[in-house]
Amino acid sequence: MAGTSSSLAAWLTTAEPQSRAQARLGHAWQGFRRLSRNPTAMAGLAIVVLLIFVAVFAPLLATHSPIASGDLRTERLLPPGPVFWLGTDDQARDIYSRLLYGSRLTLAVVILVSVIATPIGLAIGTISGYFGGWIDRILMRITDIFLAFPRLVLALAFVAALGPGIENAIIAIAITAWPPYARLARAETLTIRNSDFIHAVRLQGGSSLRILLKHIVPLCLSSVTVRVTLDMAGIILTAAGLGFLGLGAQPPTPEWGTMIAQGRRFLMDQWWVAAVPGIAIFVVSLGFNLLGDGLRDALDPKAAR
Amino acid sequence: MTTAPPLLEASHLSVRFGVGRLTVAALDDVSFTLAPGESLGLVGESGSGKSTVLRAITGLAPLSGGHLMLDGVAVPTPRRMDFFTAVQMVFQDPYASLHPRHTVDQILAEPLAIHRIPDAEARIVAALKEVGLGPSYRFRYPHQLSGGQRQRIAIARALILRPRIVLLDEPTSALDASVQAEILNLLEELRRAFGLAYILVSHDLAVVAHLCERLIVLRQGRMVEETTAAALRDGSVKADYTQAMLAASKGFTRPAPADPAIAPARNI
Amino acid sequence: MTAPLLEVEDLRVRFPLAEGTVEAVRGISFTLGRERLGIVGESGSGKSQTGRAILGLTAKPGEVTASRLVFDGIELMTASPQVRRSLRGSRMTMVMQDPRYSLNPVMTVGQQIIESYRAHAPVSHREAKRAALAMLEDVRITAPDRVMALYPHELSGGMGQRVMIAMMLITGPELLIADEPTSALDVTVRGEVLRILDQLVAERGMGLILISHDLEMVASFCDRVLVMYAGKIVEELASGALGAARHPYTRGLIGCLPKLAGDSHPLPVLTRDPAWAR
Repeated sequence: MAGTSSSLAAWLTTAEPQSRAQARLGHAWQGFRRLSRNPTAMAGLAIVVLLIFVAVFAPLLATHSPIASGDLRTERLLPPGPVFWLGTDDQARDIYSRLLYGSRLTLAVVILVSVIATPIGLAIGTISGYFGGWIDRILMRITDIFLAFPRLVLALAFVAALGPGIENAIIAIAITAWPPYARLARAETLTIRNSDFIHAVRLQGGSSLRILLKHIVPLCLSSVTVRVTLDMAGIILTAAGLGFLGLGAQPPTPEWGTMIAQGRRFLMDQWWVAAVPGIAIFVVSLGFNLLGDGLRDALDPKAAR
Repeated sequence: MTTAPPLLEASHLSVRFGVGRLTVAALDDVSFTLAPGESLGLVGESGSGKSTVLRAITGLAPLSGGHLMLDGVAVPTPRRMDFFTAVQMVFQDPYASLHPRHTVDQILAEPLAIHRIPDAEARIVAALKEVGLGPSYRFRYPHQLSGGQRQRIAIARALILRPRIVLLDEPTSALDASVQAEILNLLEELRRAFGLAYILVSHDLAVVAHLCERLIVLRQGRMVEETTAAALRDGSVKADYTQAMLAASKGFTRPAPADPAIAPARNI
Repeated sequence: MTAPLLEVEDLRVRFPLAEGTVEAVRGISFTLGRERLGIVGESGSGKSQTGRAILGLTAKPGEVTASRLVFDGIELMTASPQVRRSLRGSRMTMVMQDPRYSLNPVMTVGQQIIESYRAHAPVSHREAKRAALAMLEDVRITAPDRVMALYPHELSGGMGQRVMIAMMLITGPELLIADEPTSALDVTVRGEVLRILDQLVAERGMGLILISHDLEMVASFCDRVLVMYAGKIVEELASGALGAARHPYTRGLIGCLPKLAGDSHPLPVLTRDPAWAR
């Protein structure tokens, strides 16, 4: 066992990789090694992995239905105990099970927002930075307009226009999330675009599209990834905020923000109803922040040696 | 002597940077020709415009006057694909001219992919061999290579399209002396093997004399003198400025101790 | 024979890294009088780390050890950080490679020279200004009062390096360490800067350590030359005695340079013997 793991490490860290795949895996492995030296980043990674695990295996881990109400006379607003591990809410639903299923929504929000917002931000930022001139001016003014509004307020406006619901909340958050990534990608592009290795591609006759996609975007990707990871906490909070205001996921969907909103009426006497999803939001946000901080150190090209 | 047009002819090149009253002439009325297989040196100090000549040839710096002919045909702006297969460039800083996230393999595959050249696999291995690197270097990242090895990769990238002209922008000034010797030898070998024509930009007269037969001395964007390496060697260059550079490149000469302040202090 | 200005014995600089400890300087010894000493080597030879270690400027994880590191009777290895800081800048100082990076871009040249003087000498602003003007004249800057009002980006490379030298010499140091002081400069400016350095060092009876990769320049400038390879001194040469070099590394280094007179094609290549690093 030890023999195979050490030979795998040697295969990954060899100075003479034999194939493209080996070189890439070795590179990724070295990035992971840098990350793994940072205990807080590993704690963040553990939280994020746990979130994914819980979301995937929610049906197996849940003890009750997340949506169906229990016996409203005897099982309503019970404190944490042996049957309902984290208590029940006012509809006599098991909070533990709702929390597990809620992680799916949180994860979906996180994934969809990053899948929608990151490419938009990258495209606008790199095009703006690479071409400069009036293209830059127009794209950056649009970005400025989006940046000028507080994110929750802008998301509220979009949801109000599109109608409440988790899908619209995700779209609204994505629309409000891309401007910082565009700014970041543009700043990175400005430092890269006049470097010799970009000149070299131009001298080979590479088209602008090729230079952008194959040479500039991969270099912007790491800093944008870090930024997106750090933003995850804010995205989760915005989604929860929309849910809390009744504009995100609609009851009885077990969304964490909606759960807090429903529990707030019982905050004084049955505190766990609101506190449990609140702690979950807090822990997951913290996890993404810690991971983002660690990634920044691990992916920083200046530190990479 | 021959009726065939020169490989590259530059006449009255001028390049200006900036707009309005702030324009600076980076290059002013520079003309030269390059024959097939010939090696031409461009010598000058910082601000002489020697690197701007290369950037003007490649189109990275737009010409504000003069014109360029390749094989007797005017070079269009923007440059067309056939220009890039004929003219390639090696940059000064091997730490900045290779993409930090691409392996050697990706770096060498890129020009082949752009020009849709088949049989990339074999050509990459051959290109590495030409610059004296084994196939074990193929999947390394630039940060795993030394400065000299990086410059070899940059040369391999320039040669993989089989150009006839290679522009060399201070290719050895970021390298140690022992590595410089290896790169200069490699450049000479490759020139012989492929009949390449070089335009070498350098501030180092000895390097230019080593690699080139003819050279042009530039100062503040203008041509000071067009001369030969032989004239540089025997010191028969005409312009005062070239003479001054020649004298300065021979190391430090202590002024005769006529100044009494210098001599006694030495003996403390 | 007076006591030497600087005595270095078994100086070592180590950098503990995640991949293992890297020893940049591996036990070098030399003494310096009031003379010009050159240290020559290629990148990674430890020449710059030697200069930094003497000044106490080794970058963070680096550790410096030496059995003796004595400057004018002061044992630097056991001296307190306060003592070292007060020595640095007033009695021993350093000129770096590129003046553009070692001058503060948002302060005028004059302010910087005056400030560095007043940090080490209890003088009035007016006196400091007078000294700064005199110092700029010493580095042969014409119209020093005009240059005092300039910002670093308004200076040419040669002028910037002369300002750097003025700033470093205004406190009257006894030891100057110049790390590649001319390699960012044009050849025609190089000679001028070296001549100024040469004259000031001689006039003031300072000790100079000139660190460079340029063997020919150092050999023509310095009284003695130490050749470093892989953190060790492999050879010591007298001024102008490059031809007498014995060590195959030094000879290889001289041989592999292209020469205007007596050039050879192809150039002889330096083959490194692992035994040199032992």
